[in-house]
Amino acid sequence: MKNRHYSFLFSIIGLLVFFPVAFLIVTSFALQWTWPQILPTEWSTIGWNALIEEPKLFLALRTSIGIGAIVVFINLAIGFPAAKVLAFQSFKGKSFIEAFLLMPILIPGLAVAMGLHLTMIRIGVADHWAGVALVHLVPTIPYTIKIFRSGFERVGSFYELQALSLGASQKEVFTSIYLPQLITSIRSATFLIFVISLSQYALTAIIGGGNVVTLAMIYFPYLSSVNNAVIASFSLLFAGIPLLFILIIEIVIRMFIPYRSLTNTQQ
Amino acid sequence: MFKYIRLETKNIAYLFPFIVILLSACSNSTDNTAVDEEILLKEWDSYKENASESEVSIFMWGGDEGINAYMDEFVSPELKEKHNITLNRVAMDTNEILQKLMNEKRANQEEGTIDIIWINGENFLNAKENDLLFGPFTEVLPNYQEYVDTESLDILYDFGTEVEGLEAPWGSVQFVFQYDSAKVSDPPKSFEELSTWVKENPGKFVYPEPSDFTGNAFLQHLLYDQIGGPDKLLENGFDEEFVTNNTDGMWEYLRDIEPFLWRDGETYPASLTELDRLYSQGEIWMTMGYNEARAESFINDGTFPESTKSFVLDSGSIGNTHFLAIPYNSPNKEGALVAINELLSPEAQMTKYDTTYWGESMGIDPEKLSNDNKEKLAAMERGGSVLPANELNEAFLPEVDTQYGGWIREKWLNEVVQTD
Repeated sequence: MKNRHYSFLFSIIGLLVFFPVAFLIVTSFALQWTWPQILPTEWSTIGWNALIEEPKLFLALRTSIGIGAIVVFINLAIGFPAAKVLAFQSFKGKSFIEAFLLMPILIPGLAVAMGLHLTMIRIGVADHWAGVALVHLVPTIPYTIKIFRSGFERVGSFYELQALSLGASQKEVFTSIYLPQLITSIRSATFLIFVISLSQYALTAIIGGGNVVTLAMIYFPYLSSVNNAVIASFSLLFAGIPLLFILIIEIVIRMFIPYRSLTNTQQ
Repeated sequence: MFKYIRLETKNIAYLFPFIVILLSACSNSTDNTAVDEEILLKEWDSYKENASESEVSIFMWGGDEGINAYMDEFVSPELKEKHNITLNRVAMDTNEILQKLMNEKRANQEEGTIDIIWINGENFLNAKENDLLFGPFTEVLPNYQEYVDTESLDILYDFGTEVEGLEAPWGSVQFVFQYDSAKVSDPPKSFEELSTWVKENPGKFVYPEPSDFTGNAFLQHLLYDQIGGPDKLLENGFDEEFVTNNTDGMWEYLRDIEPFLWRDGETYPASLTELDRLYSQGEIWMTMGYNEARAESFINDGTFPESTKSFVLDSGSIGNTHFLAIPYNSPNKEGALVAINELLSPEAQMTKYDTTYWGESMGIDPEKLSNDNKEKLAAMERGGSVLPANELNEAFLPEVDTQYGGWIREKWLNEVVQTD
């Protein structure tokens, strides 16, 4: 009985996911598709040609993935300790710090970018990939901290206290308790950060100044194109990159994280 | 950390001063006009020498495949071959480009990343007022001297703003309506006939809302019609009282046709792109826009039906010129000069005119071309959807002060939207 409910739910979700994707794929090959036709009347590869002929496509892919990976790494490095403190310790002004850490997603990105642009020009990282990677931290860090914080709260500090009382070092606590226990948080944070970083247009445009060509820099101008096929092919590529990235991360996780069987059952 | 504890409840408000400080941290840039003037005094050949083997970055709106292809497939190889210049085309919206330049100006950045920008209208006014542009430079360009009609009003003025040599004309476009001749046999010739047509064919016409460039131009044309031509608006600059008192009929007209528009006028397309999509899907039978040949590339790639034709009203068709400018902090001004000069060459302009890529009118004067090129130009087919050149020339109406655009936007909301 319970199973049947689940399979019904899954088919609904499956349809909701499948249809938009299938629609995108069909659109990317459609030349003429007017209402009330169910399928396009004429097909072509114009949408994909425009994509492939884009001279900076390969460069943009490389830059996007590179910046995305750096942003993910810095996020994990900052988010992990910050979230742990917020989850386990109480101190004066904690709620202020929490609100402060959420600020970047409450203030419009463009306003942040303009202020930061001035600073970045002065310290000399404007128009450079390093500046872009830095500015991508603004819209991502808040999410990372939120995700890890709830992760830490779920796990609790008891394992750590026990391990410490048995003489484990901080490093051992990290690698053999939190890392495997928080693997789900790492997965979701990584995916989210990467997608956010990939889709930043305004921040990248202003701080990168056109010198840093990411996929969004190429893709967004095409959104004002009338040709739906071009938009669809770009969108598919755009959606495919994070999937590829998460696949690589997954392989890395499988290779390096201990207690795999444990983490699998915990999900 | 503890200093902030008491701020807990108001923490967000307390951060605003920081943002304001960051945003307003402006100081005047050091004077680099002397260096600029030095550049402009050089001989043309020395630019060419210095520009060789350099890179020129052009920042421009990148939402049209035809325009992008023109830059990548024609201009870029041409510059490489003739001048050994590597062209770097960066797609960015003009607003963001100006924002970037404005920040760089505030931070006193003397060497930016942009060598050429594609600009006109309100953006040019902004750039000029904030001293973001290098120049005046047009006088040193040989092709500007030779081929541009330097006396023409639409080259001396850009939407009512004096150009003063800060930008070189790249091309010009005229506002035309497109219609599907398979569905519309006899397109309207005046706003009155348009109103009749709209009522006879409910749901088949709509214009973009006036916050969109094209929607605004449509209403601007109606405004000209209402007060008997643009001359009065041109003479006085922006005269709010005059237009407010004399345009009741215009808003009456818009309210009158509203119930017969697409979706009963309950909503308007937010952009030209949306309008074009509705047209390409056959939901509406007319679309409109700047660039008299804009339908050609859409017809070629199958977006618009092959039966698409265009028309202008008897009262005329608004046209404007768009330009190329050099930012004050361009790292390669000499390269930019050589590249702009090349973009104004008859060859580049005629290729741009050809509908293969772009299909818009030239920034240079066709009368000044050599006889050879005149013949070539005459033999060029602009495609079945484009009106003959003389008809377009006769219909040409100039743009007026950009402030009228803002006035139309606001007034439309009050007079048309909020009276439902």
